[in-house]
Amino acid sequence: MAAPTIFPTGTTVFDPEKTWSGYTIYIAIETGAVLIDMNGNVVNIWEGLQGFPNKMLPGGYVMGSLGVRDPKYGYMDQTDVVQVDWDGNVVWKFDQYEFIEDPGQEGIWMARQHHDYQREGNPVGYYVPGMDPYVDKGNTLILGHKNLVNQTISDKLLVDDVIYEVSWDGDIIWEWVCSDHFDEMNFSEEAKNILSRNPNMVIGKGEVGDWMHINATSTLGPNRWYDHGDERFHPDNIIWDGRQTNIIAIIDKQSGKIVWQIGPDYDRTPELRKLGWIIGQHHAHMIPKGLPGEGHILVFDNGGFAGYGAPNPSSPTGHNNALREYSRVIEFDPISLEMVWWYTYFEAGHLNRMGRFNFFSPLISSVQRLPNGNTLITDGSNGRILEVTSKHELVWEYISPYFHTDGKSNNVYRAYRVPYEWVPQLDQPEETTIPRIDISRFRVPGAEWKKEQRLTKVEGTTGFFKMPQLCVSDIDPTDD
Amino acid sequence: MTNIIFTAAGCARCKITKRFMKDNAIVFEEFDFKAAGKEAFSSFYRAHRKNIFRDKDGVEFPIFYDGNVIKQGVSVVIGYLIAAEKAGGFIGRSQLHGEWIDGFNISSGDPDRAENLMGVLSYLKQNGLKIQLTTSGKNPAVLEQILEKGLGDRVIMEVKGLAALEQAQIDADEQKKSISLATKFSKYQLFTIIEPVKYPDGQISYLAPEEIGETTKLIEEATGSKKHPYELRPFDPHSTDNQAFKAIEPMPSSVLFKYRTAARRYQVMAEIQK
Repeated sequence: MAAPTIFPTGTTVFDPEKTWSGYTIYIAIETGAVLIDMNGNVVNIWEGLQGFPNKMLPGGYVMGSLGVRDPKYGYMDQTDVVQVDWDGNVVWKFDQYEFIEDPGQEGIWMARQHHDYQREGNPVGYYVPGMDPYVDKGNTLILGHKNLVNQTISDKLLVDDVIYEVSWDGDIIWEWVCSDHFDEMNFSEEAKNILSRNPNMVIGKGEVGDWMHINATSTLGPNRWYDHGDERFHPDNIIWDGRQTNIIAIIDKQSGKIVWQIGPDYDRTPELRKLGWIIGQHHAHMIPKGLPGEGHILVFDNGGFAGYGAPNPSSPTGHNNALREYSRVIEFDPISLEMVWWYTYFEAGHLNRMGRFNFFSPLISSVQRLPNGNTLITDGSNGRILEVTSKHELVWEYISPYFHTDGKSNNVYRAYRVPYEWVPQLDQPEETTIPRIDISRFRVPGAEWKKEQRLTKVEGTTGFFKMPQLCVSDIDPTDD
Repeated sequence: MTNIIFTAAGCARCKITKRFMKDNAIVFEEFDFKAAGKEAFSSFYRAHRKNIFRDKDGVEFPIFYDGNVIKQGVSVVIGYLIAAEKAGGFIGRSQLHGEWIDGFNISSGDPDRAENLMGVLSYLKQNGLKIQLTTSGKNPAVLEQILEKGLGDRVIMEVKGLAALEQAQIDADEQKKSISLATKFSKYQLFTIIEPVKYPDGQISYLAPEEIGETTKLIEEATGSKKHPYELRPFDPHSTDNQAFKAIEPMPSSVLFKYRTAARRYQVMAEIQK
């Protein structure tokens, strides 16, 4: 499928009656942390501030990183995690995780943070009524990297994932190393075999194996499962997901053991088969107490390519052996694994098969449950942020206007919606409705729609059926 | 009585020991426990089991018996044959396998008898074994000799926390010298046990993070580098011989991070032992 060459950027749809309005923060390519209002007006750019991701805190603070490690030697490592005020002053910083000396460069301490972090006070990093993240105290949970060899996995150097907790004063007070728990993860022998030979080797300080690729880390926070006595869901426990293995897991904060897990094999039980293969997923987290859907797991299930297992025609070695050409946002019950809400190309109004690509972000992306039951989705690979209602109605859409200098991508790693009151420096902005444009009449200058068109009647024509013309059936017999 | 040596078929260390005995005209009778000597070894083992070590991999060979003493492991046997009981206390059991051999504690021996140790190390090196040494800082002169003669391949050094030096009867200057020497070997690992200390006021408590910081500062001062492989190891009250320390509570693992942070100020590669 080809994307159009010309398309609008900025806000393209906005129904103020149905949105949960506020500001939206995201990392704009080669620009910095960008905060926009609902009409797409930029209200602040923290220029040069990295963000993997950027997150807002009450009071007009933004979190992110001052720099990123030279990709010749590192792999997605942010140099630090910082909290910056409205005017760009750094009010908190942590970088004392590992001392790094890359060739030809001064040795410096780095956080090696990547993909996620959480400030205490809020379990997930987005707005939850009554759970504001702290701005002048509290611990920060950081997802980071550590290079090591673990012979049980592979004899190759791994860029392993670590989760560590840092106090406000900068002391590391807790650490969890992913590879230490390999034996708890239920990999099949087929998966272990390809993992040992190719633990997802990537370039960065030579070749290293990004074997797990965790991209989300958050605490569970108060939840009904724990309230009803299920210790696996202790509020301090941590949920993470590994893009490369298709695993979503919860670890016990005290012991570090995995206490709940789905993946890497989604054929293992009838419940998992019904849930379907989660592939290359991002931003798995538990919807916090106080938001619609609380206690459910919400995840952007990218599809694309991921996993380790038996070879198949698309994966001759078994590396990236799970493939799917569309994305799903799914919300499911962690006990029954029953899906309770989802959003795919179909709910977005696209055709089966021919339209699947219209909601497909093979990399990055995220999802946030809003207080009115709407869901903010970052369709990351396509640079699109959208808000949909529980009934799948699109009520806000925004396309990032920030492109790489080569013009090839305007991708957005992750976006968050925050309430207006989190930015006391600004008066609440005016909201202007942006109705959905009839794109059949929407033309660029020089190609305006003309009313006067010659119509020629053809004798004997019988009319059109309301179905697309395809060379195969639009109905997939394997679909439920 | 004839010297007896129990061996195992295919055991390279047994061959080295036998070669040494032949080279030095030491008469012996061999029993291969995997062949004809199985019965003989079984009887010997039953009679002397409390003097024969075995670990998870089984019994280490060779085992030497002269009717008086039992010696086990190539380094211990050759050390004994060179110097009888005068090897000076440097040699213990090796727990490494393959081409590596350990059990040489530089700090536990009498430096006046270091020549015997050099003889053992030299013979083992000539036979292709790689030698791992341990030290806790005492006897830097012996470590220096080994370094100069190229008789060691890897050094594991316990760097005592400064407040613990006195109770360990280690001279601070000797420790500093040993640190400097240890880091000159091609392979080495430094570590500190976060141990309890009896302070002058009679109180017993674990070394404080700041004291670990001072210890790593000493390593930097001794070597001019912040980048040594350095490990922090928790103290195990159950395995100490010091009765006064047996009652102390084990340190919670979450507390160790504060120590690592303090250590990393001067040794950036500091890690906590897994």
